[in-house]
Amino acid sequence: MTTPLELGLLVFILTCAVATALLRDVLGSIIAFSAYSLAIAVAWVFLRAPDVGLTEAAVGAGVMTVLFLLTIAKTVRPSSDRTLERVDLPALAVSVALVAVLATTLFALPAAGAADSAVATDDVTAYYLDNAYEETQVKNAVTAVLAAYRGFDTLGEAVVVYAAGVGLLVVLDREVFA
Amino acid sequence: MIEALADRVYYLAVFLLLGVGTYMLIGNANLVKKVIGMNIFQTGIFLFFITAAYIDGASPPLLSAPGPYVSPLPHVLILTAIVVGVSLTAVALGLIVRIYSEYGTLDEDAIAKVIADE
Repeated sequence: MTTPLELGLLVFILTCAVATALLRDVLGSIIAFSAYSLAIAVAWVFLRAPDVGLTEAAVGAGVMTVLFLLTIAKTVRPSSDRTLERVDLPALAVSVALVAVLATTLFALPAAGAADSAVATDDVTAYYLDNAYEETQVKNAVTAVLAAYRGFDTLGEAVVVYAAGVGLLVVLDREVFA
Repeated sequence: MIEALADRVYYLAVFLLLGVGTYMLIGNANLVKKVIGMNIFQTGIFLFFITAAYIDGASPPLLSAPGPYVSPLPHVLILTAIVVGVSLTAVALGLIVRIYSEYGTLDEDAIAKVIADE
């Protein structure tokens, strides 16, 4: 069951997302996006995902905002006389159509928080929760799965980050980050 | 009907975030805002996964707390996805900086015009 606090948070998240889309000033848009990231980090805590919340607050709201601000500093912040962008009607039609199609599946999904949903009752979930501490001696099941059971996934993730760093240097035609 | 909707409010938020992200990717001419739109689309997907893992009244998957616990697996997938998303954003913004030094603008229509004139 969703509490009024969670409902308010979701409304704030959606308002920030719409503000990000409609603000004409790109700097304003970036600030609205970092507010959005912080709010969604709080939503992860409500949904009992503290590890994801920490990562989102540090990486999503922190690093991502810095990256966007650096880009603005190195390029251009378009001057504007209007506060809001003109709404692009074809794009609006496409996104409304997408939401409408997705919304048809809404009642086929299990209620959020149902204890008998497919994810909650899955054998894999039960295995990790039952054996994580015994087999890895780590009390945080997320860390146990991330670093032990799915260590190769995490290695792949590290490779992606490395490739992105190299790609960034190649694109910017530099030899070091400075 | 209203009660069933109240139970699925998180999923409704997921769909609306995907809609906002799609709108930004198509409708905003500024390339930086397109990248922000891509990030909003991504967080919509993240919200879907984390909501799917959630169980009313359960503890976070920290085994020192008393059970029942929410499923740790979607959390792990999303942790990985957040980091990959940041890498993706960094490369996209690097490309944007290069596009700006080449064309002197970040407006999609202006860039298309410059390319057509060449």
